[in-house]
Amino acid sequence: MRANIWRTPTLFIAILLLLPLILTNYGVKLTSEVLIMAIFVMSLGLIIGFAGLVSLGHAAFFGLGAYVVALLGTHLDNTYVLIIAAAVISGIVAFVSGLLFIRSSGAYFLMITLAFGQMLFAIFYKMESVTGGADGMAVSASLNLGFGAIESRVGFYYLVTIAFLVSYYLLRVFISSPLGKGVRGIKENESRMTALGYNIRHYKLIVYSLSGMLAGFAGALYAYFNQYVSPDLLHWMFSGQALIMVIVGGVGTLVGPAIGAGFFVILQSYISSYTDRWPMIMGVIFVAIVLYGRGGILQIAMLLWNKLRPKRHKEEETPILPKEGNGFESVKG
Amino acid sequence: MSLLKVEHLSKSFKGLQVLRDVSLEVREGERHVIIGPNGAGKTTLFNCMTGTLPINEGKVVVNGQQISGLPAYTAVRMGMSRTFQKNNLFGELSVEENIHLAVTACKPYRFHFLKPASKYAEMLAETQELLAQWGLWERRSRIVSELSYGEQRLLEVILALASKPNILLLDEPTSGMSPAETVQTTMLIQSMPRSITLLVIEHDMEVVFSIADRITVLHHGEVFLSGSPDEISGDARVKEIYFGGGTLKHA
Ligand SMILES: Nc1ncnc2c1ncn2[C@@H]1O[C@H](COP(=O)(O)OP(=O)(O)O)[C@@H](O)[C@H]1O
Ligand SMILES: [Mg+2]
Repeated sequence: MRANIWRTPTLFIAILLLLPLILTNYGVKLTSEVLIMAIFVMSLGLIIGFAGLVSLGHAAFFGLGAYVVALLGTHLDNTYVLIIAAAVISGIVAFVSGLLFIRSSGAYFLMITLAFGQMLFAIFYKMESVTGGADGMAVSASLNLGFGAIESRVGFYYLVTIAFLVSYYLLRVFISSPLGKGVRGIKENESRMTALGYNIRHYKLIVYSLSGMLAGFAGALYAYFNQYVSPDLLHWMFSGQALIMVIVGGVGTLVGPAIGAGFFVILQSYISSYTDRWPMIMGVIFVAIVLYGRGGILQIAMLLWNKLRPKRHKEEETPILPKEGNGFESVKG
Repeated sequence: MSLLKVEHLSKSFKGLQVLRDVSLEVREGERHVIIGPNGAGKTTLFNCMTGTLPINEGKVVVNGQQISGLPAYTAVRMGMSRTFQKNNLFGELSVEENIHLAVTACKPYRFHFLKPASKYAEMLAETQELLAQWGLWERRSRIVSELSYGEQRLLEVILALASKPNILLLDEPTSGMSPAETVQTTMLIQSMPRSITLLVIEHDMEVVFSIADRITVLHHGEVFLSGSPDEISGDARVKEIYFGGGTLKHA
């Protein structure tokens, strides 16, 4: 049932590809930002929803990726090299830091990732001579995939659309792979996984590193998008916002975090033109969704879809579970 | 020769000594049952043997290799797997997914991430075989928390068997089962091939005597007596401490 909307990814891809034809220049820019944020929030959603690792420092990897493009970009201009370097360096930093704190879980993991993120933030903030400190720095590298510089908003939009679709597809494959299933099993029941012979630390470390890598990749795209980076990109407040986007969108899915990112980026761009109480409004929405829609926007959308869609699809809705009269049903808790 | 050896194992929790100088030998192919009153330390012994809990003194040797001191996940690699006294499953996943995880645990492709798990024919075949063999084929797509208690208990055993262990540790496999389920499970245990060496903790005396080649009585964390079923059932002191004077066969 859940898959109905998404069973037609071609429709979704077609919409993404055609969107620039109907959107204004600003709309194209906003959608590009949504897609970049969606990649980042999906990377966080991966460790939260599938590995049970709730991080409050994930922006550090996003910011790191962005700074790699900004800093290395002053020396070289090859887009491929810069983006890959951003992803790899973020991945390595995630791996090394993960080695140290992947043992902890729950609130401890949250605190230690928060501390680590703030530490990286402080480094970029303090190293004024290199990073420009609080003022941030401009991104001088130009975007060029070998077919000439991509300067138009629409050209950039198509680039991030492809990046988003590929990231989403790879994440889909990942969560259905043996490794991804193992990660999910660890979230469900660590002691059983250990008893089955899984080294759960290896799994957590791998998924954490991959997630950091993807966050760095999103950060690199953001550096090209914004053409300016600042330490705010690593700040825990940004990590917290991404965390809220995951929870509001729907934990435990890939689509959820992407929806959460879209919801907040678009809402923010409208609301912040009227008021600067944006963080408070975000908080209120967060509380409301956590209280009343436990599965996040995704679940609410599914409920509405099931209510509102045309009647002729009605038959599909009935569950396909066989009716078995063997007496076991009554036992279930 | 002994496939599994526990030598002078001691374990305490913050000053409370739960196991004291426990030694135990299990031969290849043997079906060894551990009995003893609640709180005797039986489950703790399993936890220490598999590395789930660190031990204070002594060692555990599997197939000539020392296993104590190694992390818990290595037990399965050395051919020893276990079940839990309290069901310890993936409650939110389906029966099939539970078994997939168990089957994949020691496979070389367990770290693969570029291909869906559903494309691994060997894993699917092994899962199917286990489902069919243990009568859960019909219920393969059920979410585990929706299964009956007895079925969940059975799945405990299936998960442990999925790694094709040489040594299987069962912690009260029939606890909480209905009499019919107990009989069925006993028969399933009896039908296991002798290539699987069994060490079973069990309370139900009918079950104990229908599967045991050898019985060890654990009492206050110490091995009180170890012997053949006849020796144990004939021992007056065992009756005294464990059964409070009742008869062994019908406890
Ligand atoms: N993790 C633990 N921490 C403290 N005490 C424990 C722990 N596990 C078991 N015990 C204690 O050890 C004793 C033996 O428990 P257990 O091995 O479960 O006995 P049995 O399985 O024979 O019924 C009990 O007194 C129990 O309270
Ligand atoms: Mg016990």
